[in-house]
Amino acid sequence: MIAMDLMHHSSCFLLPTIPLQRRPSLTYALLVLNQNLPRFTPLLWNHAQLHLCADGGANRLYDEMPLFFPQEDASDVRRRYKPDVIKGDMDSIRREVLEFYASLGTEIVDKSHDQDTTDLHKCVTYIRDSASGLDKSNQLCVLVVGALGGRFDQEMGNLNVICRFSSMRIVLLSNDSLIHLLPRTYCHEIHIQTSVEGPHCGLIPIGTPSKSSTTTGLQWDLNNTAMEFGGLVSTSNIVKEEKVTVQSDCDLLWTISIKKL
Amino acid sequence: MPLFFPQEDASDVRRRYKPDVIKGDMDSIRREVLEFYASLGTEIVDKSHDQDTTDLHKCVTYIRDSASGLDKSNQLCVLVVGALGGRFDQEMGNLNVICRFSSMRIVLLSNDSLIHLLPRTYCHEIHIQTSVEGPHCGLIPIGTPSKSSTTTGLQWDLNNTAMEFGGLVSTSNIVKEEKVTVQSDCDLLWTISIKKL
Repeated sequence: MIAMDLMHHSSCFLLPTIPLQRRPSLTYALLVLNQNLPRFTPLLWNHAQLHLCADGGANRLYDEMPLFFPQEDASDVRRRYKPDVIKGDMDSIRREVLEFYASLGTEIVDKSHDQDTTDLHKCVTYIRDSASGLDKSNQLCVLVVGALGGRFDQEMGNLNVICRFSSMRIVLLSNDSLIHLLPRTYCHEIHIQTSVEGPHCGLIPIGTPSKSSTTTGLQWDLNNTAMEFGGLVSTSNIVKEEKVTVQSDCDLLWTISIKKL
Repeated sequence: MPLFFPQEDASDVRRRYKPDVIKGDMDSIRREVLEFYASLGTEIVDKSHDQDTTDLHKCVTYIRDSASGLDKSNQLCVLVVGALGGRFDQEMGNLNVICRFSSMRIVLLSNDSLIHLLPRTYCHEIHIQTSVEGPHCGLIPIGTPSKSSTTTGLQWDLNNTAMEFGGLVSTSNIVKEEKVTVQSDCDLLWTISIKKL
C-alpha cells in the first residue's frame, strides 16, 4: 500500500455549532443555485463567511428564506439573508429581486457573455480566484445548495464541476443527501456526524472504472474491490462506525444521506 | 393517482389504476395499501430475502424473465418513474441498473427529464418529439471516458470528441433538428428535458 497524505472530512457545517478543535479549520462559502432551498439553508448560511447566489438562486433566496421564519416580517428576513454576490448570466433572476439586493449593497457580477460553462462552474471559479472577504489562511470549503434534482443534464454538469475542481473542497447538498469528491491522491478519513447524517451512503466511480478501492467502517466494506458503472457500484451501503476510511485508485464521489429531523 | 383526477371518487381512480404486480422486500408499502391491491387481484411478489440488489434491479429482472401478459413479439421498453431525485446513492444505483441491463430498453423519467442508455454497439437515431421534449439535452459518459463520440442535430455537436468526467461532458446542450444521431466508443446516457405543458 502506497503511503499517501490523509485528507479529513466532516459534515460539521450541518451541526448547530462547529466544534472549535475541528481539524482542519475551514472557511465556508455558501452558493445558492436555482432549486428549492433545503430545510437547513439558514444553518449553512450562519456558518459561511461568503454568501453567493448564481442567477436564479437569488429568486429562491428572496422567495423561500422568509418561509423558514414564518413569524417574522419577510423584508426583515430578506435583509438578514442578503447575499454578498450574485453572479451569472442574469437570465433567470427577476428584476425586482436584482434591484432589491443591489440596493442593499450586494455585488452583482454579470458574466452573460460566457456560454461555455455552467453557473456553478463560473461561481466556483469566482470563489477560488476573486472572492474577497474570505479568510484565506484557512482551507476553503464551498457548500452548494440547488445543484441536485431538477434537470438531469444540469445535475450531471454540476457533478462534473466537482470532478474538474478536484483540488477544491466542494460539497453538494440537498434535503436528502450530500456529495463530495474523494480525490485518488489521498487516503480519506470521513468523520461521521451521526446526529445529522447517515446511515445510508455510497461510493461512486463516476467517470472512470476503479480497479481497486478499500474502505473501513461500512457495512459492506470494499477490500481492493473493483467498481464501475455496469458492474459493482457501492450504493445503499450503511455506515457502521464513526470513522470511515476510503482509499482508491480513482476519484470517487462520497455520498451520505442527511437525517430528517 | 386520485390527485390527478380531483373530480372523481378516489376509490374509483385507485381501482382503474390497479397494478398487475407489486414486487420488492415490502418494507415500505403500507399494510392497508397492500391489502387494498391484493383484494383487487394484484400479484404480490415478495423478495425480502434478496438484499444484494435494488428494487429497480429486482423488478427489471422480473419483467425480463417472468412477466406474463406481455406481447413478446414486440421489443420491450420499460418506463420507470421515481428512480431520480431523492437519495443520491439510490439515484446512482438506479443509473447503474440501466448500465447493467444495457441490452434492454429502460427509460427513467422525472417531471424534468428522461434518461436512457445508448449502447456503444449501435449507431443511434433519436427522433425528437418536439411537442413534449427538449430543447435541453446531454450526453453523459457515465463510468468510462469516451475517446470518441460523434453527433448530428445538436447545437454543440460532437465530432470524434473525447468526453469524460473531469473534462468535457455534454450538458446544457440544445436539440436543433428533429433527428439526432449519436455514435460513440462507449455507453452514453442520453438525457433530454421534458416540457412543462
